[in-house]
Amino acid sequence: MTPRRSRGFNTPSPAQTAARYALLVLVLLLVIGPFLWQLSTSLKGPGEDVYTRTPDFLPEDLTFGNYGKVADTIPVWTYALNSVIVAAICIAGNVVGCTLAGYALARLRFRGAKLVFGLFLATLVLPGEVTIVSQYVLVRSLGLADSLVGVALPGALAMLNVLLMRTAFAAVPAELDQAALVDGATVWQRLWHVGLPNVRGMLSVIVIFTFIGAWDDFLWPLIVLNDPQKYTLTVGLQYLNGTFSANPRLIAAGTMIAFLPIVAVFAVCQRFFFKGVEEGAVKG
Amino acid sequence: MRRIWAALTTTAVTAAALTGCGLGSGDSKNGDSVASAAATGEVKGKVSLQTWALKPKFTDYMQGVIDGFKKKYPGVEVDWLDQPGDGYSNKVLSQAAAGDLPDVVNLPPDFALPLAKKDLLLDVSKADPKLADEYVSGGVDAYRFAGQDGVYGYPWYLNTDVNYWSSDLLTQNGLDPKKLPANLDELIAQARVMKDRSGGKAYLMSRKPGIGDLYNAGVKIMADDGKSFTFNTPEAAALLDKYRDAFKEGLLPNDVLTNTYAGNSKLFNSGTAAWTTAGANYITSLATDNPTLAPKVVPSAAFNTPPLYVQGVSIPKSTKNPAAAVALARWLTSPENQAGLAHLTSVFPSTKASANDPFFSKGDGTNAGDAKVIAFASLAKAKLIQPVVIDDAMSTVINQQIALAISGQASSKQALDSAVQQCDKLLKG
Amino acid sequence: MTHRRWFTPWLLAGPAILWLAVFNLWPAVNTVILSFTNAKPLGGGQFTGLENYGRLLDDEQLADALLNSIVFMLVCLPLLTVLPLLLALLVQRKVPGITFFRTAFYTPVIASAVVVALIWGWVLDDRGLVNGVLQQSGLTDTPVTFLTDRWLLLFSAIALTTWKGLGYYMVIYLSALANVPRELHEAAAVDGASPLRRLWHVTLPGVRPTVMLVSVLISVSSLRVFSELYVLSNGQGGPGGRDMSVVMLIQMYSRGFTGHLGYASALSLLLFVITLGPMLLLTRLNRKAD
Repeated sequence: MTPRRSRGFNTPSPAQTAARYALLVLVLLLVIGPFLWQLSTSLKGPGEDVYTRTPDFLPEDLTFGNYGKVADTIPVWTYALNSVIVAAICIAGNVVGCTLAGYALARLRFRGAKLVFGLFLATLVLPGEVTIVSQYVLVRSLGLADSLVGVALPGALAMLNVLLMRTAFAAVPAELDQAALVDGATVWQRLWHVGLPNVRGMLSVIVIFTFIGAWDDFLWPLIVLNDPQKYTLTVGLQYLNGTFSANPRLIAAGTMIAFLPIVAVFAVCQRFFFKGVEEGAVKG
Repeated sequence: MRRIWAALTTTAVTAAALTGCGLGSGDSKNGDSVASAAATGEVKGKVSLQTWALKPKFTDYMQGVIDGFKKKYPGVEVDWLDQPGDGYSNKVLSQAAAGDLPDVVNLPPDFALPLAKKDLLLDVSKADPKLADEYVSGGVDAYRFAGQDGVYGYPWYLNTDVNYWSSDLLTQNGLDPKKLPANLDELIAQARVMKDRSGGKAYLMSRKPGIGDLYNAGVKIMADDGKSFTFNTPEAAALLDKYRDAFKEGLLPNDVLTNTYAGNSKLFNSGTAAWTTAGANYITSLATDNPTLAPKVVPSAAFNTPPLYVQGVSIPKSTKNPAAAVALARWLTSPENQAGLAHLTSVFPSTKASANDPFFSKGDGTNAGDAKVIAFASLAKAKLIQPVVIDDAMSTVINQQIALAISGQASSKQALDSAVQQCDKLLKG
Repeated sequence: MTHRRWFTPWLLAGPAILWLAVFNLWPAVNTVILSFTNAKPLGGGQFTGLENYGRLLDDEQLADALLNSIVFMLVCLPLLTVLPLLLALLVQRKVPGITFFRTAFYTPVIASAVVVALIWGWVLDDRGLVNGVLQQSGLTDTPVTFLTDRWLLLFSAIALTTWKGLGYYMVIYLSALANVPRELHEAAAVDGASPLRRLWHVTLPGVRPTVMLVSVLISVSSLRVFSELYVLSNGQGGPGGRDMSVVMLIQMYSRGFTGHLGYASALSLLLFVITLGPMLLLTRLNRKAD
């Protein structure tokens, strides 16, 4: 904490700090079960039981061999790279597309704006469950079957993210925009200099959501891709779950490998939740 | 108003055509000409093969089979795709809808049926008249469908169910692994002992009845024309009543109410239930999951008529290289190559020539080896019990209604009537 | 705010509108059309008029499913609107190790369905953790059938949904909290407002649009509940299928080669109409408050 932003008004007492940590640990215990089980299973040796009535969270025969075996079994790096490409396309599409659309909806008045917003909102409830096959036929007719672009395409601009960005832009104080307008700033300049610095928190939320959505998706990439060299990680990891050869330790190790990039992206992005407002406030 | 309806109808037809777009190209071809091309054409060029969840354990095996094929037919190229286990039906469905099924594709009979009905698959008995002489009849019959002429796939490997018992749980609770139950009544009697001795902590019975149990109780599942279900008979109700009483007595865990086929092996794995039914390779996979449990498992033959499970390969009519596709399907399912696969894991060949392989009838002293021998003996009397027309929705409905009857929330008759009625509706479309 | 060129907003929103049309509106239109046919995934649909809609009326499972979905929404809405906000407030302050906690709290969102089913099975099973504790402490003799009783299964699924949703909505709240200007807090503190009053008068008004958005998201997604019920009941929807949700029915009918796309589409559209209700209500409330 810098002295400039002294926060005497909310410096916590030791008791408050202790209570806060107690709460944090309590919630931690409630949420972390599946993660622990995966981690522990991935570290268990071949002599240990995996499915028992009372799960053993501490591996007796601790080994990292399962991770090596996963890498021997499937080309983890190739699959991970494919996943990264898909996720990168989706993130780029969402960050650019949703920012522009969100800004237009929140900050610009135009004829039909209400209708467009209503349609975006309606997508939250529009039915789409039964059309996955026709979606594949569409992507295929664009010549994008069996390609990573085809996998990324439907998710490259998610309607929910447009709504999130609109909410974020709407929360930026109107006076800031007004001031810029008086200075003769164009729409682009206002978006770039006034809007964007204030919505970095939401942008990082979108990056996280998009990354995880693209990274975890299974059914769609499976349908689009044919060539095993192009598989994304979630699809490729399914090879560990073969008909006569499922080893839960390897599956768990594979899941942990797929999990690490998510942790990394999350840990990087969550910093921005707080940056946005501080910088925005300074400028304002 | 009429014009609006007319417009709607046209769009509806267009949309329906779109969901099934790509079908038009393949099926306009005359099946006979494809079959004759297959029988007479030269085996060369590119051919694609799609298997289901064989990588990585059988990568070497498959590579060996493909290399052998290329050696036998110089100038042929095989493009092998192995699809992951999950989502395979979605994958095949999309391939079929888009008209790009591989030339030789692993399809279990229940996948092959809807494709054959859409006239997408080659009748391999036309391309290959000797089919019935070379493959066991159960395997070939699995790819014959009511109301369709012909055979729509080469049977590949077979499996059946074996009973597995946890000797530890049995002996701990006063039961003798040497006197295993051989029918439902004995099972219920021993389950009672198990419950009393364990204080309700361990169970012997671990699943609710399914179509197979109804069949074994002498219930006719479907009408002969395959157009309606008939399993709501008094015998079926009597069987459900028996289970309901056993459930009420606490002989089955509550889990059975929402469990599916795999549910009882899950209960077995966790040491809650002492009995499960599973395929011949079960002990081997259990040795990976719960290595301390696996050596204590005792196999025995399934009660009554065991179910026959068949995997096979089909050839789409749209194949560009029918001669090579048929040759590859035959090669993959040839006695030698099937024996190779069966020696790697506990599945069984579908060729008649393999029946005399002593490998299947001789154990190796392990319990997994015993299970294999028992399963192989069972295969001789195993039957295709579950009609292939029973799809996901129908089996969910049947499962739900049986659970309702077992839990006592509906009478057995009501539940069976409701299941039959709903399944008939689903069958009609 | 004015701008010179009328097409600028359309230029900005253009890509999003294109995606909207191709990947959202077209499938929806397609669903409407399919609902008047008996189409299968492999084509061959014929126009059948209102037959599918007529079938909706005498589907007993649907009545159960609708009730389940509505109960689900009524319980989830308050839980998931409030708890994640509290959690966001808890992790908002940068204390040592906070990155770890924030990340950990998000893990249920990304946990695979299989593992979630496994863990919650251990917790809620007749021989599971909760029943173990209940029986040890003498509260009950016979196990509580969390997973095989109609209503208990529904409430177990609500618990699972809440558990899974905590991290997701926490993240949305966190970014909104960051937008509440610190100056307002400081001013309020200078005025001698207690932390609770500051929460009520400064923080809550600041995140109100987000609370509204989140509650819309929750009501829609809880009416569309699928995976939680599916996972806890092994896809069987409880004994007799009385714990099916509408989306579970849609999935059951549309799955596989013989999927009944026509009827599944009619179900989809029914669900669409139902979800419109709470959405319109909440957006109306939102506008009034503005």
